[in-house]
Amino acid sequence: MNVTINQEGNKYNVILDGRVDTSNAAQFEQDLKPLMEASNAEIQIDCTGMTYTSSQGLRYFLMLQKHVMSHQGSLVLCNMQPQVKEVFDITGFSNIIKIV
Amino acid sequence: MRKSKSFSARLSSTILLITSMLFIVSMLVVMFFSHKIIAEEAEKNAAEMLSITSLNIAHTLAETESTVKNMAWLVEERLEDTTYMYSITSAVVVINEEIVGSCVAFRPDYFKGKHYFAPYAYDSEGDTLKTKQLGNDHYNYFKKDWFTIPYLTKQPHWCNPYFDEDGGQIMMTTYSYPVMNDKNEVIAVITADISIDWLTSKLCDLNLNEDSKILLIGDRGQYISGNLPDMGFQDDIATYEQAKKSPAFQRLIKKMTSQETGTMTLRTDNHFSFAVYGPLLNGWSTAIISPYRYIFAKLDSMQFIIAIVSVIGLLLLFLSCMRIIKTLTRPVTEFSKAALVMAKGDFHAQLPQIKTEDEIKDLHDSFEYMQQSITHYIQELQTTTATKERFESELNIARQIQLSMVPTDFPDNEKLSIHALLQPAREVGGDFYDFQEKGDNVFFVIGDVSGKGVPASLVMAITKASFRFLSGLGLSIDKMVEKINNTLSASNENNMFVTLFVGKINLTTGEMYYCNAGHNPIVIRHADGHAEYLKAKNNIVVGAFENFNYQPETTQLEKGSRLILYTDGVTEAEDVTEAQFGEQRLLDFANRIDDHDSSKDIVDKLITEVKNFTGEATQNDDITILTISYKKD
Repeated sequence: MNVTINQEGNKYNVILDGRVDTSNAAQFEQDLKPLMEASNAEIQIDCTGMTYTSSQGLRYFLMLQKHVMSHQGSLVLCNMQPQVKEVFDITGFSNIIKIV
Repeated sequence: MRKSKSFSARLSSTILLITSMLFIVSMLVVMFFSHKIIAEEAEKNAAEMLSITSLNIAHTLAETESTVKNMAWLVEERLEDTTYMYSITSAVVVINEEIVGSCVAFRPDYFKGKHYFAPYAYDSEGDTLKTKQLGNDHYNYFKKDWFTIPYLTKQPHWCNPYFDEDGGQIMMTTYSYPVMNDKNEVIAVITADISIDWLTSKLCDLNLNEDSKILLIGDRGQYISGNLPDMGFQDDIATYEQAKKSPAFQRLIKKMTSQETGTMTLRTDNHFSFAVYGPLLNGWSTAIISPYRYIFAKLDSMQFIIAIVSVIGLLLLFLSCMRIIKTLTRPVTEFSKAALVMAKGDFHAQLPQIKTEDEIKDLHDSFEYMQQSITHYIQELQTTTATKERFESELNIARQIQLSMVPTDFPDNEKLSIHALLQPAREVGGDFYDFQEKGDNVFFVIGDVSGKGVPASLVMAITKASFRFLSGLGLSIDKMVEKINNTLSASNENNMFVTLFVGKINLTTGEMYYCNAGHNPIVIRHADGHAEYLKAKNNIVVGAFENFNYQPETTQLEKGSRLILYTDGVTEAEDVTEAQFGEQRLLDFANRIDDHDSSKDIVDKLITEVKNFTGEATQNDDITILTISYKKD
């Protein structure tokens, strides 16, 4: 899993590439840390390259969503592959995270 | 254990070898120089001896000469007294003990009527002095060298040795001195005979060893005297003549007759001899010939003694080396034993006491350090292992507890049969299921906590306990889920969440109420054998957001329906190529379910199919299957 973060002011353009599973979940959390520390952040995550996410990965998206909600920010996931979108749908994450 | 050749033996042998070689080399050098010095010394001694003897002989001969000369004037003085001549000759013999005979031989017819007149005095046997007149027709002394040469040359003369047949009857040499008158005419020759035996004994007085030879030869190389060893010839002269056949001897004779002084090595019949030679007088020459084996006899014996001493010395050196090295290396042997003891697991092996401050001490210290380090390490390892074992043991207990938390007493009655399986990927996991019959209803739940292991298992325990508690309160399904959600969300700093499928079937009416909180859609296999995923609203997972409004749903089950609830461990089970089991395979499986299959059969068949699919691949997620059969009447 590669995480690329491009910051312009409070706008964060994040590009995810690869799969999030048990083996790299800790690294994924570490990679997302800059986003977890930002306030008023407008975060857009490009999920084009994300092929899979485990429940652990979902947990980090949940944490990120909770963070932006409590820090006047926003989170948008875009270009999500269908099988990943399905996971977000099944788990109800689509209800709380904006996916375009 | 014992090696064929010990270290000490090997080292000692090496030292012995090197020492021997050094010793032999130095021996050879010493021998070479000793040989040289001894040869030089022998040469010097022989030359000195020869010189002394020469002087001694020359002195005697000179005395003889002067005795004779001194008598000459008496002859002149008392010519008329022929009887007195006997006295003169007697006096010569008496005065000089080396002179064995003396004669005053007058020229022919010097005295009237006396053609021969030669009064002669000589030592006869028994050392008595006798006199006689020497000349007669049988012994014509006028033809003898001892008379003729001085008579003609008017010079004194030493004649060559001869056997005196008429005089002393012995081998002798004679000194002749001419007596002159006023007209410078030789009137008589006065002589003194010296015994060759005397000369020989004089030469033999040289205190030479028995193997040494002494040789006295005349000016033409003729034999005078010597002690050439008896070589089986009749006399010394014959021996001398025989010896003269060897070229080396010929060279010696040539040098001697040339009146040279010097040394040379003689080689005769493979024997090496050492010759010192020098002139005597009258063209005579003397040589001392010593065999090498005599000269170097002392050296030989010295060599022998040195060799014996060396062998004994080297033997002692070898033994002491062995002993010293053994003593020095004894600690090493003991270290070796200690290492062996340690290798067998006893790290407190006794080390040898080292009192020296050397490499052995270093070895001892290193060894001791190693011993301590290993002991320490082993202790740490034991502690770590114990801790690990404790963890493992506790995890095993936790696993037992977790497994006992899910019911395994499955109902199987005329209306309902339930069967389930829970296989955590690790010792403990986050999957769970539960069911509870309450009057006409049966409550059931399947859940999957995010993550795995101990943290997941703790959340699982809370969730499961909450369900068990809430299902007994008669709440609606959606309220149950809401309450569980609020319980988990309230203090969920780790954002752990649970996907849940909670359901309730009225066994009388077949009505099923359910709520899917982010869980995989369950499979419903209808009574007609057709299977499908049960459509459900996608509610958010439990524990994510407090006070979420969960939507309940309802469906009508016909009798003979089967429900298959599962966690993503089934659909996401991967084979070695990371291909997933998938929802389609699960659906296909459900379509193959036979009417006669019990709940247990379905669980068993499904898990078998999943295992067949994954093959050798490791199970990396918890697998849970829960099957509910709503039976026909």
